[in-house]
Amino acid sequence: MLLTPNAMGRPLRLGLYLTTGAIAAFLLLPILFIVLLSFGSSQWLVFPPPGWTLKWYGQFFSNPEWMDAALASLKVAVLTTFTAVALGLPSAFALVRGRFPGRDLLYGLFTLPMIVPLVIIAVAVYALFLKLGYTGTLLAFVVSHVIVALPFTIISIINSLKLFDQSIEDAAVICGASRLQAIVKVTFPAIRPGMIAGGLFAFLVSWDEVVLSVMMASPELQTLPVKMWTTLRQDLTPVIAVASTLLIGLSLLIMIIAAALRRRNATNA
Amino acid sequence: MKVAINALHTAQGAAAGSGVPGATTRRPPLRQRWRGSRNLLPALLFLGLFFFAPLIGLLLRGVLEPVPGMGNYAQLFANSAYARVLFNTFSVAGLVTLISVLLGFPLAWAITLVPKGWGRWLLNIVLLSMWTSLLARTYSWLVLLQASGVINKALMAIGVIDAPLEMVHNLTGVVIGMSYIMIPFIVLPLQATMQAIDPMVLQAGSICGASPWTNFVRVFLPLCRSGLFSGALMVFVMSLGYYVTPALLGGAQNMMLPEFIVQQVQSFLNWGLASAAAALLVAITLVLFYFYLKLQPESPVGNAR
Repeated sequence: MLLTPNAMGRPLRLGLYLTTGAIAAFLLLPILFIVLLSFGSSQWLVFPPPGWTLKWYGQFFSNPEWMDAALASLKVAVLTTFTAVALGLPSAFALVRGRFPGRDLLYGLFTLPMIVPLVIIAVAVYALFLKLGYTGTLLAFVVSHVIVALPFTIISIINSLKLFDQSIEDAAVICGASRLQAIVKVTFPAIRPGMIAGGLFAFLVSWDEVVLSVMMASPELQTLPVKMWTTLRQDLTPVIAVASTLLIGLSLLIMIIAAALRRRNATNA
Repeated sequence: MKVAINALHTAQGAAAGSGVPGATTRRPPLRQRWRGSRNLLPALLFLGLFFFAPLIGLLLRGVLEPVPGMGNYAQLFANSAYARVLFNTFSVAGLVTLISVLLGFPLAWAITLVPKGWGRWLLNIVLLSMWTSLLARTYSWLVLLQASGVINKALMAIGVIDAPLEMVHNLTGVVIGMSYIMIPFIVLPLQATMQAIDPMVLQAGSICGASPWTNFVRVFLPLCRSGLFSGALMVFVMSLGYYVTPALLGGAQNMMLPEFIVQQVQSFLNWGLASAAAALLVAITLVLFYFYLKLQPESPVGNAR
C-alpha cells in the first residue's frame, strides 16, 4: 500500500507529492536561475533582471581569452575521449572474456580513479608533471583527464559487452572469419552503443573537469572551467553565467544523445 | 537460430578439447589460465605510470619529507588548527549525507510511485542536475545565496528575517551547495532498490493489520536498506574529498581537508604535511569504499551467461 498510490491514505499521498514538487523545484532552481541570469541586463546580477539583453553573450564571444579557453576545452575533451575509449576497449574485453583469476580485483583497480578523491589525484599528477617539466602542456591536461575518464568508458563498454552473446561472434569465426575480423565486423557494431556512451561520459568528464585542470593550467593554456574558476575568484560577472549556460546546453545535448542511444539499444535487443 | 549457434559453440569447444566444464579435471596450463589478460596491458601501463606511481610517490612523501618519520602525522593530529580541519571535514560530510538522504528519500519514493511518464520526468530532472556542470551549479548557488541574493531578498520581503543571512563564505554555504550536488547520488541507487520491491509485500503488511506507520518502519524501510546504505556511504565518501564547492562557497576560516591539502601544496609548498593529510583521506576513503563494495550483491564483471 505504500507503493500503490491509490491505496495510500490521501493526506500521506498529498504530502509526498508536495514534498516531491518542492525537491524537484530545488533541483531545477539553480539551473534555470543561471540561464535566465545570462540574459539579464544587470551587471550586479539583480533578480528578476530589470531588462533582457544579449550583451554578455557578445562579450563572451568577442573576448579572445574566453574563446581560447573554450577551444582548449574542446581539444582536450576530444583527445581525452579517444584515448579513454582506445585504452578502455581492450581492457573491457579482457575483463569480460578473460577467465584469469583476480578479475574482480583488477576491475577494482581500474575503477579506483573514480573513488580516490580528485584533489589527491590532482596533487599527485601535478607533482609528477612538475618533476618532468610538463605542467601547463596539452599532454598534462589529456593524461590527467584520461585517468578519471577511463573508469567511465570501461564500465559502459563492459556493460554492453556483457549483454552481447559471444556465440554470434563464434558463428562468424566458424563461417570463416578470423577472430579479429569477427570482432571488428560483428562485435564492435553490436557494442557500439556502449562505446559511444563511454565516449560521451569521457567527453563530459573532461569538459567539466575543474580540480585537475586548475592544477595543470598555465597562463598560456587553460580550459573553460579554469577560466571560469579564475574569473569567479575575482568577481561574479554575468559573463560566467553565459559560460555556465553554454556548459548546461552541452550537458543537455549529450544527455539527449545518450537517451536516444539507450532507446535504440533497447529496441534492438 | 540462437539454439543452433549455442550448439555450434559447444561443438566447437568440445572439438578443441577445452572450455567444456567437467571435460577435464586437470588444471589448465598457466598460459591458458591467463588467456586474454594481455589486453589489459595498455590500460594497466597507463594507470601504473600516471596514477598508481604518482599516488604512491605522493603518499611516501608524507613519511619522508622534510625528515623521515611520522612527524607530519604527529603535527596533523596535535595542532589544534589542523584538528579543526579534520573536524570540519567529517561534520560537513555527515551533515550533507543526512540532508541529502532526507531530501532524496521522498524523491526516490515518488519516482517509484507516480505513473510512469511522471516518474521519467522526475528522473530526468535528477539526471539533468547531476550532469550539469559542477562549476555552473556552484556559481549559481554563490549568486543565489549572497547577501543581496534572491533568497535573502525573498526572505526579507516576506518578513521572515530583518537583515540578510550570511549563507556564503562559511560552512552553511558549503552544506547547502554540497547537499544539492549529492541528492542525485542518493536518489539513483535508492530508486533502483525501491523499484525492485514487490508492492504486494506492503499490501500483505497492511492486510495483517500493520498501521501505515508500522508498515513504513518495519517493512518498507528495511526493504530499502541496501540502496539507502550504499547511497549514503557513497555520498559521505564523496563529500569527504570534495574540493570545488567548499573552495567557492566556503570561507577562508573554516577549511575542509581537500582545501587544506591544496593550500599546503600551492601556498606553503609543504609537501610533507599535504601528503600526510592526503594519505589520511585516501585511507578513510578506501576503508569506506570497501564497506560499500561489501553491500553490492554481485560481481561487476561476472558473466550473465
